[in-house]
Amino acid sequence: MGQIITIDPVTRIEGHLRIEVEVENGIVKDAWSSGQMFRGIEIILQGRDPRDAPLFVQRSCGVCTYVHYLSSVEAIEDAVGIKIPDNARIIRNLLHGAQFQHDHIVHFYHLHALDWVDVVNALKADPKATATLADNVSNAPWGGASYFKRVQERVKSFVDSGQLGPFANAYWGHPAYKLSPEADLMAVSHYIEALRVQARAAKLHAIFGAKNPHLQSLVAGGVTCAADLKPDRVAEFKYLWKETQEFVKNVYIPDVLAVASFYKDWGAIGGTSNYLAYGDFPQTGEGSSSDLMPGGTIFRRKLSDVKKMDEDKITEHVARSWYEGKKDLHPYKGVTEPNYTDYDREDRYSWIKAPRYDGKSMEVGPLSRVLVAYGKGDPGVKKLVDDTLAHLSVPADVLFSTLGRTAARALETVFIGNAMETWLNELVGNLTKGDDSTYTPWEMPDKGMGRGLNDVPRGALGHWIEIDKGKIKNYQYVVPSTWNLGPRDAKGQIGPVEEALIGTPIADPKRPVEVLRTVHSFDPCIACAIHVIDPNSNEVYKVKAL
Amino acid sequence: MAKPRILVLGVGNILFRDEGVGVRVAEALEQNYEFPENVTVMDGGTLGLNLLGTISETDHLIVVDCVRNGGESGDLYRISGDAIPERVRAKNSLHQVDLLESLTLCQALGPPPKTVILGVEPLDMETMALDLTDLVNSKIPDLMEMVFKELKRLNVGEITKRSKPHVPGCTSQTH
Repeated sequence: MGQIITIDPVTRIEGHLRIEVEVENGIVKDAWSSGQMFRGIEIILQGRDPRDAPLFVQRSCGVCTYVHYLSSVEAIEDAVGIKIPDNARIIRNLLHGAQFQHDHIVHFYHLHALDWVDVVNALKADPKATATLADNVSNAPWGGASYFKRVQERVKSFVDSGQLGPFANAYWGHPAYKLSPEADLMAVSHYIEALRVQARAAKLHAIFGAKNPHLQSLVAGGVTCAADLKPDRVAEFKYLWKETQEFVKNVYIPDVLAVASFYKDWGAIGGTSNYLAYGDFPQTGEGSSSDLMPGGTIFRRKLSDVKKMDEDKITEHVARSWYEGKKDLHPYKGVTEPNYTDYDREDRYSWIKAPRYDGKSMEVGPLSRVLVAYGKGDPGVKKLVDDTLAHLSVPADVLFSTLGRTAARALETVFIGNAMETWLNELVGNLTKGDDSTYTPWEMPDKGMGRGLNDVPRGALGHWIEIDKGKIKNYQYVVPSTWNLGPRDAKGQIGPVEEALIGTPIADPKRPVEVLRTVHSFDPCIACAIHVIDPNSNEVYKVKAL
Repeated sequence: MAKPRILVLGVGNILFRDEGVGVRVAEALEQNYEFPENVTVMDGGTLGLNLLGTISETDHLIVVDCVRNGGESGDLYRISGDAIPERVRAKNSLHQVDLLESLTLCQALGPPPKTVILGVEPLDMETMALDLTDLVNSKIPDLMEMVFKELKRLNVGEITKRSKPHVPGCTSQTH
């Protein structure tokens, strides 16, 4: 057995994740991903009115605050057979698009960037040279030597006061950091600007969703924001959307490209084999066949062979998770019977179930969506991806990596953000024609089964509901982080993040920033506390990671 | 000269008894009093970083919260200035970590609001229940008084008591 590194995170919002890797000769040889928190909402829902479900499940999380709401509402609509008005489809797309813009900006700058950007190194930068660099690579609205000098002074006062706040507990000075001091300073300044941008972008949800987090304007049958479908509110949304999208185009994308150019070796680290997308953003009333981001599956990285997604092939395994039994079941038949035994890498070791598609573990998320669209030959996505590969002069193989995952997230942000303008224009068009319909009335049936399948910032999300006597008989949801961070299955097949970690080089087991890079690239909302155990001395080092 | 913007922010988790006292104070203020235009009373719940936008858009911040300060349950505190990070860090509940982080991040954006924390030492923040303990509940009028005192210090004009309690959400809001 090599050296075991345990990363046992403490999360603020949505569950705890523990990652263990076995390191031999400086390379990760094996990995275990363990969800440390039980989610019992499915049990809470049993016997309730189906219309309660969306509001309950939305509280699963405070980051992707809208997505469970959406899937749950769509599951009810599917069970009852409701067709929603066109305006409701558009509003849902706009709210969903806003979720992507906000989530992906926050992820890159505030959850992921510090894995690549050395804040302390930024203190060595020459502000004048930074201004020149920034003018070359980005079209940011702020810049100039005096601006960067001010940012540098602000960061310095953080560091000097010992109150690092967001920049505390990291591996500053680690040899795996490759940016120049100027590039570090530019990125840190954009980190700060992105804080401002995300706070404004969050308001997009409040305009058509009543509030953020946890929106309130969706119901089975449509949306309830009829009073906000007025020129001034639409204009307000458009103004904030434009501001956000300009940041995405002029700052986020150039920053990702600039950072990626220093880390091309990460184009060969952190990849997985199989990719699943449900698809999302229906562009007509035809449903998923008109999705902007299409659904599909890719096996063994064969981009030329995108297969249709067949939802009957989805099952969840519990053989290695803390639940009763060993059977893998389709979510319609799914049961949630917790049975905590103990953390045992050889047996059961996670609260997360192990979802499989046709028996295979699948990565979900931005990379899967972009690969499926690219493999299907979507012209918009293809151009974005090809231009990026050309800009970095790297082959398409680098997509299957930690770097590819992070780049795909940026590319889909700009792609979906652009589409939002089209939807806004459609909405205005409908309203101008006098179509202000937002709701389709319906009656609760005695019985019904339905599912809502969406593709949300972190990946494929599905909610399954069974209604009996007008009440919820069974409810299951399978969330993106379950796909990505799930454990082994009955056959011992490893999950995506486990697969992605194997082969990662580790320069210093006491400071495993390389592990964090790959784990964070999947965007689990976690702040980790890292314990590194030296098996010879049993010494435990505790390091908190951002 | 525009009037300074003032935010009274009640934070906490109402699911854990006294942990929710800040929110309960914000509710009582909102329901029973009318404030001048430059004063906003807000239930911040357990939002943490999601409050960053709100916090960065105010000049003065008055936080109401339960504070573990090693005193007797029911003790009232006023913490301001440099004492804040130290005191807040000493507490061991998640929403305060987030609040501190939001305040720190606020400094990264520019000058943070001038902040005062008004708090009460909890008796029970372990039990999962929606009601405050009698002891901490009895301190709500004192905490409200402390808020009024801060507002007075900031030269806030007329605060009028409502003739009947106002339930938020039942009036048409202008955006």
